Amino acid sequence: MAVLDIKNLTLELNTGTGSVKALEKVNLTVNSGEIRALVGESGSGKSLIVAAISGSIPPQWTLTADRLTWDGRNLLTMSSAERREVMRKDIAVVFQHPTSALDPSATLGEQLEESVPVEFVEGKWFWEKAQSRRKQAIGVMHKVGIKQHKKYMKSYPHEISNDIAQKFMIAMALISQPKLLIADDPTRGMETTTKTQILKLFTRLNQTRDLGILFISHDLLAIASMATTMTVLYCGQTVESGRMSKIRKRPLHPYTKALLDSAPSFRTDLPPKSCLPSLEGSIPTLQHLPIGCRLGPRCPRAQRDCVSIPSVRRIHDHTYSCHFPLHMDKI
Amino acid sequence: MEVIRVENLSFDKCKTTSWFKKDVVFKLGPIDLSVNRGETIAIIGENSAGKSLLAKLLVGAVAPTTGTIWMHERKDGKEAKISGPECRAGDIRMMFQQTSEAMNPGITVGQILDEPLKLNTTISVVERKQIVEETLIKVGLLREHYHFYRHMLSDGQQQRIAMARALLLNPKVIVADEPFAALDPSIRSQTVNLFLQLQQEMGLAFIFISHNLGIVRHIADRIIVMDEGQIIETGETETIFRWPKHPITKKLIMSYQSLAAIKYQR
Repeated sequence: MAVLDIKNLTLELNTGTGSVKALEKVNLTVNSGEIRALVGESGSGKSLIVAAISGSIPPQWTLTADRLTWDGRNLLTMSSAERREVMRKDIAVVFQHPTSALDPSATLGEQLEESVPVEFVEGKWFWEKAQSRRKQAIGVMHKVGIKQHKKYMKSYPHEISNDIAQKFMIAMALISQPKLLIADDPTRGMETTTKTQILKLFTRLNQTRDLGILFISHDLLAIASMATTMTVLYCGQTVESGRMSKIRKRPLHPYTKALLDSAPSFRTDLPPKSCLPSLEGSIPTLQHLPIGCRLGPRCPRAQRDCVSIPSVRRIHDHTYSCHFPLHMDKI
Repeated sequence: MEVIRVENLSFDKCKTTSWFKKDVVFKLGPIDLSVNRGETIAIIGENSAGKSLLAKLLVGAVAPTTGTIWMHERKDGKEAKISGPECRAGDIRMMFQQTSEAMNPGITVGQILDEPLKLNTTISVVERKQIVEETLIKVGLLREHYHFYRHMLSDGQQQRIAMARALLLNPKVIVADEPFAALDPSIRSQTVNLFLQLQQEMGLAFIFISHNLGIVRHIADRIIVMDEGQIIETGETETIFRWPKHPITKKLIMSYQSLAAIKYQR
């Protein structure tokens, strides 16, 4: 069952000269207990989707959606108090750049103890409450794999390394025991061993606590090793969505294929030092978005029809939006 | 053919605890290394293993405590010890980790690229402009980009400018600190292709630091594994990937392969 269901989400930014559609008809569902990967390059609106779900969109931007529901409840028509309740209890977000997302003026211990929800705090007197908070904070730190809790509870965000900060952000997200964890680029700039640690942690949480994870990244190697389903985003449009194994075997959209090709680790037949296949050009900026299919100018298969926006097509649980998809003969 | 040879290079990072006492906080090396013409060497290792420091020592951004770097194949045909800044600035060039932050936002791309020529050569203004424009074309940009500012360029284009800045003085070796980390996948493969193409054309030796073992396996000839300031293992790429010897290398390679392994079971 889909816990988070987004259909035709459109986000318009008002610039001086007119409105720009930063997100255009984005569809995304996360089922309970599923790891869904959201893949896209910088500027494709991944973080905007996170902002739309968490309700932190500035009021001057217009957000419209056919459906934006959490557990059957509409997030768009909710009052802000109700919405805050949902965000506190059920959804947790791990933000990009952990060291800058933490409060630089408070120690890690203070920040973590502050985020323990009131209903989990036991005891009547303030010392009992403080003790209970501390106990829970230490427990969750051990759970995410920070062993020296004494040292890190007392340190400030600038004193800790990047991977500890990342684990700590995950600990802060998990302390309210959410049903969905949104992780925005959690493995950015990490070396392989720490990355595997973080990914193992996510997989374990998913299996033991049935936690749904929306994993946002452009590191395909990390995604392929843990995600069950994948949604690919390009310039604010969803281009393809489906089961990871199927997409990896036969991508239907040319952009998905280019993304998969860009990771040399996936290809065993590639001779060393040969040219990697890549798309021409660069990602368009928001001011100069092409009309129709936004991949159009860079796409090797583009034809005349591509100036109109392709509709979403579906083969079983695999959806794509392309006029001239790849691998159609094999399906 | 050997381009540079590093002998007994070491660096001690000290922290002064009192007036008379100095504590060595971090010790790098001693390192012995030789780089051949047209060779690609990758430096891998965990965080705070001294990879960036080694790169800085090689280009001369940090002065080593002991050791020498020998440069072969100089213009007069003799082997020379690198001591003065002028020979090193020309022959070994660096590309920095965060490309966008390593460029001056207040001046145009033309001026950014003009600076190394102005400071290191005696070429006239007109010729300098010509050289800059030629280099821009070489890295796949246009002449017009001469008048652009940093913020007007995309990530991939900024990476190309950084590449152009490194290429300007016709170096023999380029040292790059995580050149691909900040790039998006499709731009990354473009940059990798550019590297490979320029290396073939100009016979550059290329030393780079990377966490992306997929790319390392694809483009590197040789791998250096570092840990706590020491080189713990070196060897051909395939040898390291297939038969890692040191436990830390094993850990790195194993974690990479566990990620790369195909997961169709679900």
